[in-house]
Amino acid sequence: MAEIRLKNVSKRWKHFVAVEKLNLDIADREFLVLLGPSGCGKTTTMRMIAGLEDITEGEIWFGDKMVNKLEPKDRDISMVFQSYGLYPTMSVYENIRFPLRVRKVPDNLHHDKVMRAARMVELVDFLDRRPAALSGGQRQRVALGRAIVREPNVFLMDEPLSNLDAKLRVSTRAQIKHLQHELKTTTVYVTHDQIEAMTLAHRVVVMNKGIVQQLGTPSDIYDRPANIFVAGFIGSPAMNLVHGDIQDGVFNAENMRVAGLPLTVSGPVTLGFRAEDAAIGPETGEIAAGVYALELLGDASLIAMQVGGELVSIKAPKEFRADIGTPVRASVPAKICHLFDRTTGARIEERIVR
Amino acid sequence: MPHRTFLAFILPSALAMLVFIAFPIVSVAIQSLYVEHPKVLVKVQSCTPFACTDDVQVDEAATADLKRKEPLGQFNGLSTYTDRAHLAFGEIGEILHQNAGFSDVVSRIYNLPFYRALVFTLAYTFVVTPLAMILGFAIALAINGVPAFVKGPVIFFSLLPMIITPLIGSLMVYWMINADGIIGASLQSLFNDPNLYLKASPTLTWIVIFIYGIWTNGPFSFVVFYAGLQMVPLDTLESAMIDGASRWERVRFVVIPSLMPLATFVALVQLMDNFRVFEPIVGFNSQGNATSLSYSIFSDLNGQFSQLFGSAAATSVLTIVGVVVLLVPVLIRTWRDFNRKLA
Amino acid sequence: MSDSLSVAYRRPPALAVLSNALVILWLVVAAFPFVWTVWGSFKVEGDFFSRQSFWDAVLGIKTMLQTGQAFTLDGYYGAWVVNQFWRSVINTAIVTVCVTVISLTFGTLGGYALARSGHRYSFWLLIAALVFRAMPHITLVSGYLLPFFQLNIWGLLPTAIIVLVAINQPFTLWMLHSFFLGIPKDLDESALIDGCSRFQAFRRVVIPVMWPGVITTGLFSFLLAYNDFAVTSMLLSQDNQTMVPKLASFLGSIEQTGKVMYAVAAVVSATVPLFILVMFFQRQIVSGLTAGAVKG
Repeated sequence: MAEIRLKNVSKRWKHFVAVEKLNLDIADREFLVLLGPSGCGKTTTMRMIAGLEDITEGEIWFGDKMVNKLEPKDRDISMVFQSYGLYPTMSVYENIRFPLRVRKVPDNLHHDKVMRAARMVELVDFLDRRPAALSGGQRQRVALGRAIVREPNVFLMDEPLSNLDAKLRVSTRAQIKHLQHELKTTTVYVTHDQIEAMTLAHRVVVMNKGIVQQLGTPSDIYDRPANIFVAGFIGSPAMNLVHGDIQDGVFNAENMRVAGLPLTVSGPVTLGFRAEDAAIGPETGEIAAGVYALELLGDASLIAMQVGGELVSIKAPKEFRADIGTPVRASVPAKICHLFDRTTGARIEERIVR
Repeated sequence: MPHRTFLAFILPSALAMLVFIAFPIVSVAIQSLYVEHPKVLVKVQSCTPFACTDDVQVDEAATADLKRKEPLGQFNGLSTYTDRAHLAFGEIGEILHQNAGFSDVVSRIYNLPFYRALVFTLAYTFVVTPLAMILGFAIALAINGVPAFVKGPVIFFSLLPMIITPLIGSLMVYWMINADGIIGASLQSLFNDPNLYLKASPTLTWIVIFIYGIWTNGPFSFVVFYAGLQMVPLDTLESAMIDGASRWERVRFVVIPSLMPLATFVALVQLMDNFRVFEPIVGFNSQGNATSLSYSIFSDLNGQFSQLFGSAAATSVLTIVGVVVLLVPVLIRTWRDFNRKLA
Repeated sequence: MSDSLSVAYRRPPALAVLSNALVILWLVVAAFPFVWTVWGSFKVEGDFFSRQSFWDAVLGIKTMLQTGQAFTLDGYYGAWVVNQFWRSVINTAIVTVCVTVISLTFGTLGGYALARSGHRYSFWLLIAALVFRAMPHITLVSGYLLPFFQLNIWGLLPTAIIVLVAINQPFTLWMLHSFFLGIPKDLDESALIDGCSRFQAFRRVVIPVMWPGVITTGLFSFLLAYNDFAVTSMLLSQDNQTMVPKLASFLGSIEQTGKVMYAVAAVVSATVPLFILVMFFQRQIVSGLTAGAVKG
């Protein structure tokens, strides 16, 4: 069975801590995404699962087998690398066939398996070409084909889309999601792109500085970010974060005043809200500031304003227009606000009065 | 860059190459068609109080005069090329006409000076080049795994055989394999044979010079391959690991293919360098058992009594032809690449 | 130390032993002739060329008997003072320095032009240089001798210098050309826009960032001039001989007179500059060897 368990896994190099006491249970057939900025330990975590990196502390289990000391080839996994790692001197066909060949799969099975994989990744017409003669998207699909040909227990994917252009990324993303649904193979996927994470994952692990910040379904993470880091990392644009003080259920910052917040919280806090939850107007709106910039996104307009010394964004209807400097009001009702502890950054779980 | 600017920048370098590389090649070609003047002989009557005798003497003044008027010597056409010291058409015809079987043909042709030198030069080039590359590759793989602090000193000592002056390097080795030297004497006592001498037979001499060639050529391959190993794409290497390739399969399917362009380059450079093998013959003093094309030119020019310019020039031209033949595949490939780039 | 390698990269013990053994064996093979010759140069001939046992050379038994000490400088005295080896050292210094400086001057100019010109003829020039690079030096020498005799410039140091510069050019051009290719074109183009002439852009903007490449190429020019035997032995008169041809002419006369140790001492003396060179410029030499390989 292909559930994976990481127990207290740490990775250190001399003085640098890459991953610190990571605990993670990945269910069979799950699509799990490791998300975080570069250097957060997500790739190191995946490489430890693959066996390309030793574990300083802790244990990794595949089903009921501890794999700490197993070489990569003995873990029954396959992996898609960021720059694909194709064999430049072999044709597409030979690239896809390679895992079968070196694992001594009987020769008479090769052709059917390769063709099946090639059909799944739509490469049947390109089997004779060398990787150098392929486009970026095709190379990416060769790497996918090579990963699925052996039907391994686990797929590992390390930023597989980051070398593709924006348009191709969207279609390949859909393809990967479809493939995983068809094959029902446990998949661990590393990315720094939150949209990939939201669209692909059953569950997302948000990491920063080697520590798990939050583990949950995409909507959990979007709706209830566990701390300032997650709040600022998820969403496009990211959640607005305003530093201010709260007293008697009222939050105050430069150009902003929100009433109706929990009475139990007081002192300095960070208030967060999403651009798409806020709105322009009415005259009684919580924010009053001049327009700093207006960006037209096509389906909406994004208004930037200076609040509490930070720039915040508010989404407005696409026909909204205002000159720079014009005073504008925006409504940020208490029910869309998230409160975070200013010093620890943790979410303040007092449910906001609706 | 405009043509005029290009010309200004390239001129000193191009001129130097034109005058001292291109012209000499032409000059060699012309010289090879001439042969030295025979000495001008005069009959001199020398008388003693008892009798007078007629003597034939070299007229130094007239010889020098002739040499001054026609420094190239007298025109000889292609005869130098076909004489016994070079292509030896006559001798070869005779050997082919009348011989006692294949091995007789081979041994008699081998005894002609030009073919002797050619055979050794080719053997040296095509034995030393691949062996040195294999050695270099093996060392590069082995050193890749040793701790970092060992690598510096290893590379330092590895560079020495390569950059050492060839004549000096061969002298050092020559002294060691001498019957009195450490290796020579040790081998004698090891095999308990006081007459064992590495320079005694042609076979042993060849082997010694080949080993010396591998010793000086290996480091170049090693350094280039070692640098190449650092550039093998890590993604591909790790893909192979996960795909289940063993250590040897990773070398075979990933490392060697990605080093192939480097290997072509190393082979080209070493073929060119080994084809002109020269200093080891001087250093090992081995011309009796092993001699090369370069060495035969050198000995023609360095003659004890007179310099044989015509003969040296003919050998030179034949050597240049050899070099061009060696280079042809490379040139054709470069030309194709270049045209493909243009297309 | 092997802790730094992960399971995936660690070698099985048998392979590790084998490959370490190969490294050690190679180290001995590469270094031993040098160590042995340097050590032996401080002994007398009877020890260095000992029929009985190489322990003689290690312990210096005959050296003790003949000179009273375990080490002797007799060989060096014979080479440097008796045979006036210092003269050829000076000649070598003149030749190598001049060859290096002139080669680099010509080579940087030409290499820059080749790297920046997109015309077809620059490609053919590089190919011609490649063919010239392959010419055995001695074949060219046989073309020089007669004209040089006629012009009466045979035997002079400047003659040998300019010939070595020319022979060196193909290699220098190739190497510098590939180093120049590594410098972004934007750099000199912005200098041209800012009002420099081509030459000013070359001298003020490109050369200052080219120093690593120039130094590396200079090392190889130096080595070529220093190590040459074919040209210097044929083109220099007795008085102007550099170290290597001087050594060769030692050999003939010395072997009869039983003064081999003079030659050994001279050989070691001539090796010392190379040692120093590798010690200080190891990194540049390695980068030079690979620069040609990677881009060529």
